[in-house]
Amino acid sequence: MDGRSSYLTLGEKLCSVLFPLIGICEAVILGFVGCCGDLRRQPDRKFDYSFTDFVEISRNSPFTVNEVEALFELFKKVSCSIIDDGLIHKEELQLALLKTPAGKNLFLDRVFDLFDEKRNGVIDFEEFIHAISVFHPGASVEEKINFAFRLYDLRQTGFIEREEVRQMLNAFLLESEVHVSEAILEAIIDKTFEDADADMDGKINKTEWKEFVLKNPALLKNMTLPYLREITTVFPSFIFNTQVDD
Amino acid sequence: MAGYLPFDETDLPTLYKKINAAEFSCPFWFSPEAKALVDKILTPHPKERIRINGIRRDPWFRRNYVPVKHTEEVEVNLDDIRAVFDDIEDQYVAEKSECSDTGPLLMNAFEMITLSQGLNLSALFDRHQDYIKRQTRFLSRRPAKDIISSVEAVAVSLGLKVHTRGYKVRAFLNVPLFSTRLEGMSANKTGHLAVVLEIYEVAPSLFMVDVRKASGETLEYHKFYKSFCAKLEDIIWKPAEGANSNLLRTITC
Repeated sequence: MDGRSSYLTLGEKLCSVLFPLIGICEAVILGFVGCCGDLRRQPDRKFDYSFTDFVEISRNSPFTVNEVEALFELFKKVSCSIIDDGLIHKEELQLALLKTPAGKNLFLDRVFDLFDEKRNGVIDFEEFIHAISVFHPGASVEEKINFAFRLYDLRQTGFIEREEVRQMLNAFLLESEVHVSEAILEAIIDKTFEDADADMDGKINKTEWKEFVLKNPALLKNMTLPYLREITTVFPSFIFNTQVDD
Repeated sequence: MAGYLPFDETDLPTLYKKINAAEFSCPFWFSPEAKALVDKILTPHPKERIRINGIRRDPWFRRNYVPVKHTEEVEVNLDDIRAVFDDIEDQYVAEKSECSDTGPLLMNAFEMITLSQGLNLSALFDRHQDYIKRQTRFLSRRPAKDIISSVEAVAVSLGLKVHTRGYKVRAFLNVPLFSTRLEGMSANKTGHLAVVLEIYEVAPSLFMVDVRKASGETLEYHKFYKSFCAKLEDIIWKPAEGANSNLLRTITC
């Protein structure tokens, strides 16, 4: 009896040692395999999107799968224009919007920052889709109002201050090669704040902005891209790659 | 049939060279008959090029061909122009008043800011890297009524059809085929250029004339804008140098 129990105990002891050991070995080996798997994948494609990814992206956006694919064509074009890594860098966005990668532009900086949600200095495809959805003709006015507010709130204080409006106005006039005197500039800003700054505290808060925009819907003109409704005709090359016909 | 253009270049001289040399290639999925017909159509020399009747008689063309009923080719009328513009523009623009007595729209700082190129994402969809996308607007100190009538007169003298509502002018021009890539609207024999000119009051007695292309080739638009401004020299206001340097010094980015 004693021998048997000690044999069992020995077996149990062995198991109790081996099982965790085996578990650890398994984990380590699988970890390596997974790692090697990644290493094998990365050099091949900088675009790691499969059709199912597009379906998933489409589900969380106002776009159909074909539209997501067409937008991907656009994304590919922009993201490989200067640095061929499948991510949109600031110069690449600047090149696409202003046709030149050089020079400083206040508005471009703001647009880039808003698209770059993760704040890692580049715009990936998901960030791109997420931001550009706001510009869809079908997106809610609320979304557009919020996006515009964040755009103009240069220092992200939660208010659009007078100084920020002056900065943006100056940038606009410089860009248009239109020159006005200081006095006129101040008069324009005065008039703007008269209309927009309801509580007259020298800055425009979110609520005041909303009221102001609802009185002047033209202010949201640049927050809608009618092209997005016809994106599949602007970038038809996706039809060679698509698996769906919608 | 191919899904892409036979001649696609970003600059016109190279494009013309390719067209004249018939430098194009058909995709592999074109049947030999289709390829033969395309070759005949894209022949540079007009005397050697196949005629419409020839195309109609071509065996590949005739396969499963059902002739279309011909309708009279109507000259483009103003309703078509309005249809092009109204779709995009008027959704967000509240027409405050039809009556020209009340004067042009007062522009506040944000309305100007939204005109900025950096905030205009539609440039993302430009198929070609059009050169020098310059802002096209200028200031004037003349009375608003004078400005609008001068603008209309110059547009008409440049051959455009104009339609004015209040202080907004929509102008439309047909241009010969080789100057445009067939964009947008029906362009059977000619391409088109559509522009919108709007006058805003920026400050008391100071007006801004904003000119933008609604559709058509950017090259054509810039040509138009150059001639347009040349003819409006007397109403464009360019303040003295002093104002400029003050402005430049206060800019912080």
